[in-house]
Amino acid sequence: MDCSLIHDRLIAYHFATLADEERLELEAHLVSCTGCLRRYLALKAHVDHGGRAEDVPSEAARLRLRAAVQARFRPTPARRLRRWLTRPVPLYQGVALAAFLVAAAVLAPSVARALHPRPAVRFAERVDTARRTAESLTIY
Amino acid sequence: MDSDEALYSRVKQGDMRAFDELYARYASRLFGFLRPQVASRADAEDLFHEAILATLESDEVTFDRGSFRTWLYRIARNLLLNRVRSRYRGEAALLKVGASGEDDPPPPVDERVAMGQMLRALDGAVGRLPETLSDVYHLRSSGLSYEEMASVLGIPLGTLKSRMNQMVNVLREEMKPWTAR
Repeated sequence: MDCSLIHDRLIAYHFATLADEERLELEAHLVSCTGCLRRYLALKAHVDHGGRAEDVPSEAARLRLRAAVQARFRPTPARRLRRWLTRPVPLYQGVALAAFLVAAAVLAPSVARALHPRPAVRFAERVDTARRTAESLTIY
Repeated sequence: MDSDEALYSRVKQGDMRAFDELYARYASRLFGFLRPQVASRADAEDLFHEAILATLESDEVTFDRGSFRTWLYRIARNLLLNRVRSRYRGEAALLKVGASGEDDPPPPVDERVAMGQMLRALDGAVGRLPETLSDVYHLRSSGLSYEEMASVLGIPLGTLKSRMNQMVNVLREEMKPWTAR
């Protein structure tokens, strides 16, 4: 394919508006023609960087913006508390906490019995009120 | 790596490290979007400042994944349009590029010079694009996807594709004297 045809299509290629057939033809040409490839790379760099080298706001502008953001979102005690309450908790911590609660619920009665044993009741002191009542009935 | 939206949430809670990271991601891209469209660097820096701050302060916006960038560019574009319309009355504020002899026929020179001329011609052609097509050019050059651009501009995807084709055709036509060699 003629290089001038390629040059004409480079901008369309860069913005991906070429038909598939044209695109494949162009790509095949770029692989074999270093002149056109160089031209495309220059065009791409130019479009991507707005015609200038990588450009960012000045350091003064960055610091001004940073100070404005810091002043606007400075952590207050209320914000700190909210942040702590809404902090993300990893899954493993949640699982560990759940396991601990289940274990505590299961073991709590036996621990309580061990700590506060019931006073022993001697057999002789037991009073069987139901039996005495039954024996007291007289059948005529 | 944290998403833009996660960093946004952390900045709102006063985390300045998150701000630094977000700034590093967008300093070049957003500034590269704004700078060619205003007359001076100071104007671009002001707009950049306002756009970032306005996006961070937008309490009513809840960001889904991937939507921070869309909102940032939407706000930046609105600020840009407001400034251009009110302060410079339209075209006077647009690119000052393209004044360097793009109407002259290109002389027969070596490849490097021809490339330079082609790129200057491109700048000139971009500077003369109507606003609707210029938006498409600059947003796409900033790396936004078709879906993100459509969202920023508030137009259907089909309309965006049509504008993209239109924009490319205009640029191809304007650059013909420099590319047909």
